[in-house]
Amino acid sequence: MNMRLSYGMGFILLFVPCSLLVAFTHYPAFKALLNSFWNNGSSIRPSRFVGARNYEALLEDDKLMQVLSNSFIYAIGTVPLAIALAIGMALLVNSRLPATGLMRLSFFLPTMLPMVAVANIWLFFYAPGIGLASQILNAFGLPSINFLGSTDTSLVSMMVVAVWKEAGLFMIFYLAALQSIPTNLKDAARLEGAGSVRIFFDVVMPLLRPTTIFVAVNALINAFRLVDHIVVMTRGGPNNSSSLLLYYIYEVTFGFRDFAYGATLTVLMVVILGFMAAIQFWVLNRKAHYQ
Amino acid sequence: MNARMRTALPLVMSAAIACSASMAQAADLEFYFPVGVNAPAVATIEQLTNAWAAQNPQHSVKAVYAGNYEETTTKALTAAQAGDPPQVAVLLAIDIFTLIEEDVILPISDIATSDADKAWIDSFYDGFMVDTMFDGKVYSIPFQRSTPVFYYNKDAFRAAGLDPEVTPATWDEMVEMGKKLTVKDSNGNVTQWGTRIPNLGLAGAWLFGGLVKSKGDGLSTDTGTEARFNTEAAKASLEFLQRLADEEVMAPGGITWGDTPKAFLEGQAASIWTSTGNLAFINENAEFDWGVGFLPGGDGPGAPVGGGNFYIFKDITDEERDAALDFVRFMTTPENQAIWSMATGYIAPSQAAWETPEMQAYSERLPQALVALEQMPHAYREFATFQRARVTQYLVDAIEGVITGGTDAATALAEAQEKADEVLGEYR
Amino acid sequence: MSAAGVSLEVASLAKSWGAVEVLRDVNFSIEPGGFLTLLGPSGCGKSTILRLVSGLDEVSGGQILIGGKDVARTPAAERNIGMVFQNYALFPHMTIAENISYGLKVRKVPKAEKEKAMARVAELMALGKLLDRKPAQLSGGQQQRVALARVLVSDRPLVLMDEPLSNLDAKLRVEIRSEIRSLNKKLGITVVYVTHDQSEALSMSDKVVLMNAGEVSQVGTPKELYDRPANTFAAGFIGTPPMNLLQAQDVQAPATLAPANGAGKSDVLFGVRPESLGLDAGDAGFSVNARVESLEYEGKVFLVHLITPSGTRFVVAHSGDGVPEEGSEVTANWPDAATHLFDKSDGASMDFAL
Repeated sequence: MNMRLSYGMGFILLFVPCSLLVAFTHYPAFKALLNSFWNNGSSIRPSRFVGARNYEALLEDDKLMQVLSNSFIYAIGTVPLAIALAIGMALLVNSRLPATGLMRLSFFLPTMLPMVAVANIWLFFYAPGIGLASQILNAFGLPSINFLGSTDTSLVSMMVVAVWKEAGLFMIFYLAALQSIPTNLKDAARLEGAGSVRIFFDVVMPLLRPTTIFVAVNALINAFRLVDHIVVMTRGGPNNSSSLLLYYIYEVTFGFRDFAYGATLTVLMVVILGFMAAIQFWVLNRKAHYQ
Repeated sequence: MNARMRTALPLVMSAAIACSASMAQAADLEFYFPVGVNAPAVATIEQLTNAWAAQNPQHSVKAVYAGNYEETTTKALTAAQAGDPPQVAVLLAIDIFTLIEEDVILPISDIATSDADKAWIDSFYDGFMVDTMFDGKVYSIPFQRSTPVFYYNKDAFRAAGLDPEVTPATWDEMVEMGKKLTVKDSNGNVTQWGTRIPNLGLAGAWLFGGLVKSKGDGLSTDTGTEARFNTEAAKASLEFLQRLADEEVMAPGGITWGDTPKAFLEGQAASIWTSTGNLAFINENAEFDWGVGFLPGGDGPGAPVGGGNFYIFKDITDEERDAALDFVRFMTTPENQAIWSMATGYIAPSQAAWETPEMQAYSERLPQALVALEQMPHAYREFATFQRARVTQYLVDAIEGVITGGTDAATALAEAQEKADEVLGEYR
Repeated sequence: MSAAGVSLEVASLAKSWGAVEVLRDVNFSIEPGGFLTLLGPSGCGKSTILRLVSGLDEVSGGQILIGGKDVARTPAAERNIGMVFQNYALFPHMTIAENISYGLKVRKVPKAEKEKAMARVAELMALGKLLDRKPAQLSGGQQQRVALARVLVSDRPLVLMDEPLSNLDAKLRVEIRSEIRSLNKKLGITVVYVTHDQSEALSMSDKVVLMNAGEVSQVGTPKELYDRPANTFAAGFIGTPPMNLLQAQDVQAPATLAPANGAGKSDVLFGVRPESLGLDAGDAGFSVNARVESLEYEGKVFLVHLITPSGTRFVVAHSGDGVPEEGSEVTANWPDAATHLFDKSDGASMDFAL
């Protein structure tokens, strides 16, 4: 079986993925950048070049400021929470407790569901008065909470959904990492007098650090990338309290049909994500390797 | 975005031309429609389109369920800008200004020019025709039109010692009766609210239009360039919503549209303000005695009208255009209006439909259906302007800002007014 | 270092994982400062014993007496035992200094004392220059010394070592072997050492516990194990190459040979070490006729591989002149004193008279 590819064949094989990449990634990104320097036109009012005016508008956009602060809170809240939960679940599943197989499945299940399905489940869960959350609260004699209808709770409610959805996937990464930690390291620490908690913080956590960095970066990017549940559950409301950057882009672009400002926001998002990716590479290269 | 679509245009156009050329006299219609209610709407739409196709074997029609209203509009616009519009679509009545601005629809009064056509256009209730017009032309035909009504649980009224045949007519009565209808458990937690008015998102803004109308004002006009947010009527309406929460007649904070029928069916709310589009659903699922009344009003009755109309798109062949018009006329015959209305609870938009024997029998069986019709004279057009989505969002933000407790009504409305004027100024 | 050793005694030790019995009735003891090796093939249970003694696993039965006190139910951390692991078990994210002082840190040893102990151990193990590095930057031998240092810094009277040399190359292994032995002598600590390498066991130990399939096969000094294997397993495990075991029908024995307990001559196996065998050496007491199958040059000796007419293979370490040719028929013989007899049915060593 000596199959040598000719240059022609190689070119064809490369051409297909490259053209897909260009057509669906590079060209739209470039086009968005171009569009961000034009104002929004319609059929009867063609768009015209406006220079940096859309970018000036960014600075004056109160809603954008709120959306960015929401996104920031959302990321800062969901990432550590998802990580902590994922580690906890991985430890539980990795333990010698009975029925770990069932636990693994149930922890991982939310990850397998599409976000829209997850959102619908939680929509029912949160519904004031009729939802499960209300019924649980009522069973304890507590008043219902209007989770999605209050500016105080809507963003947190969205964060809980995201954590619930994501932690299962991260658990898998942690489980793999936990299982690759040699047992004798823990044994060695134990003989030195360290208890379980101490072993976890002195030995296990540091060895999970590459995984934690990987998961944290992914969770951070997901925090900006995943807004399906916002669309389904709150549409950014009430009063924009649960609106995230990507949802705002969606709303401006396809709701308001303001493609120019949508493109400008997209450029902002690309810059933010690019910045985070750069940090990812920098941190991964510096910190993650022991061997 | 527009420019990108234009590059794709020649390609799609040539494909479209190639297709239509081979079809000669016949037309293949594509018909986009949304579903926004809990009703067997898709099945009924297919039943009606199949009936038209059977009558017109030279044509074909493909009914495409395109999501909710917003998604359907987005899809239709995107397809139109790519040079491959659906020939017909049911879209929100209030999208008229957007569709005109994007220059994708034909004025129906320009193509429906025969006497029979004119009679057909004249056959619809005026209340539904107001928002089909711009610049003296009719751009759309009423189809799935709805208006909110006051649904109430008669059993709950009886339990509260209220007359189950009398609904609150004014806001004060609403508050007074609502207080009696609100039930708490031994822990002091509310198990049944007096009423429930969705106040979040676009649905919240829609119902808000009815409140404003009952105070004798309107949020927008037929010019499409005017938003009337900062008015006494709007302020009073917003304060009324606040008052309902303050007096424990309605749950505080944001109230969603989607959960509202369910809250009613499960006894969480003794009354709800929601669309007639939910009539069939509630009729099927209510396990208690229920009734329908006018929406309580400030100075008198008032309600918004909403829902979707038929639009015919530009950039289609003459055959397609003629077939499309025929299709729309078929879908809005009195008989078919009756079928559609009975299946969904949407208000049949013409007098003739209500006079069909089927509809007569239906309103006898379900007298609640008549209430909406009787309320129609007090209805006002739904908020619509150019840049509707954006301007409406200012109103939504104002309402949500107040009901979630952040701002006071006057400030919120003034701010929304300022932003709206900035956007609409360009169009005046 | 003041770590005077402590005695260790293991009595009737047993361990099961569920229904699987991995250790049965294990007994041995070592005096303070002694060097005891648990020897055996992989899977024989020697590492399990170490984990039970250390407290990392729980015993299923029996006693573990350290300094006369039963610690079988005492938590690992309270047994005051140090352990060196097969793969060193150094914490990859800590520096060498942090690795060594980890136990002191956990036990909150005062700083001055800690630094003193560190300096002492670093000097003892010649690690001074490596203290700021991470384990990954060290060679295998250096890592091994760090692992030893980590144990020594805490002055543990009893140190367990689980195949500590198996990851090192041959030369380094011999070096560190003697280093461990000299630390044992110099510091007077008691060492329990696990290995599957019999030459390691013989060269280092005061006492060897030979394990076979979860049971003690033989306990004794290296010399006892070599000179007087208690059974065919011990005979076959100790020595390079190990003791030959010959079928009775192949062996011409003196007529006066009388196995103990009145067993017949055909009920026994004859054991003889390759280095005790001679080729065609006249009238020594015992002899076997065999054909030369192959020759193996070992430097000091030739290993002559032979096969008897009945098909039993055995080896002669031939050091004289005149190497036989492959395929030739020879007679291998050995003196009475080099003869071992084993019961054919259970493999146990037997006495005999001549």
